[in-house]
Amino acid sequence: MSTTQMLKGILDGCLLAIIKNKEVYGYELADKLETYGFHSFSEGTIYPLLLRMQKEGLVTSTLKKSTAGPRRKYYSLTPKGKQELDIFIKRWDDLQTNVNNVLHHESDTTTKKGDETIEE
Amino acid sequence: MKNEVKLPEQSITFIENLRIYLFSNGKNSEEIEEIIEELEDHLSEAEKRGKPIEKIIGKSPKEYMEMISNEMVIDYRTWFKYVLLIIIGTFSIIIMSDLSEGDLSYSVLEIVGDIVITAIFIFSVLKGFKYISTMKQSLWKQMAILIPIVMLPVFLFLGLIFLNRAVDTPMIHFSNMASMIIGIMTLLFIIGMSLWAKTWILIIVVAFITLPNYLLTQTSLQYETQLILEPIIMCGGIGIYLWISTILEKKKA
Repeated sequence: MSTTQMLKGILDGCLLAIIKNKEVYGYELADKLETYGFHSFSEGTIYPLLLRMQKEGLVTSTLKKSTAGPRRKYYSLTPKGKQELDIFIKRWDDLQTNVNNVLHHESDTTTKKGDETIEE
Repeated sequence: MKNEVKLPEQSITFIENLRIYLFSNGKNSEEIEEIIEELEDHLSEAEKRGKPIEKIIGKSPKEYMEMISNEMVIDYRTWFKYVLLIIIGTFSIIIMSDLSEGDLSYSVLEIVGDIVITAIFIFSVLKGFKYISTMKQSLWKQMAILIPIVMLPVFLFLGLIFLNRAVDTPMIHFSNMASMIIGIMTLLFIIGMSLWAKTWILIIVVAFITLPNYLLTQTSLQYETQLILEPIIMCGGIGIYLWISTILEKKKA
């Protein structure tokens, strides 16, 4: 499975979390994600996600004139978006715990002859 | 271009293709401009930092365009508006120019043929644009696709004229009164459509196609002179209108 596929769904939550703290525009969002360590994804993928989140009423956007250069679309979170973020955080915590449990437990054991496992 | 940084050729081509792709997929033109502006900004920011376009849109521009397109709702109202504008436009041009020559009379074949040809034209234009915008093609290849699409209705209309002479279908004759009523209805339609679509184009085109012929026959000019003047006034007038409106459009932007 590629990182891009694993990222699906997770990226939504990350975007919501970044938007929650500060009104941001597209490039800023991609830049932030990169500084947090997301290097392998195509930056443009955030736009279809933003379009969908707007359709679902999770974020709103306003056009603002920047001091230099073109006008920019700034995103902010709606109350519904905040709820969605809370749900995401809860889900992510569960998922993270579960995945870690699996990985820790399974890496401590070696498999021998099908179902039989022996503790090392 | 509002951005300070000039976008590289590849990005400009991508942006143009995306615009055409979304448009031929029936998306709202305001929404298209919004996402285009956003991506232009992103691409120019990325360009400043030396990132290649692949870092933004991934390896396949086509897939990326589809991703964007899937998240945008189809704007049926606008789509319907353009289709209606083309169909009614075509018919009002035909009707008005026939009216300037006398009472209306059409064969069933003509009426059905006109509708079918218009439908074929709209369908092939949308398909053609969509195809061109997703592929990396040379200008020649694009032309090789576009020219037949534009020429297709011309040949079909010509074919229809010959077929109409060869095949006898029932004629529908409209009396002077009926022709007048159809003329007034068409005129109202043209005005209504123009107000709705907020464009002068239809009125201007119809006026330049029908009026010169009518006005010239009222003059004492020789028939040959009239024949030469008519297309000059027609094409010149429409050309000047398009030229002026492009200038006005640029000033607005």
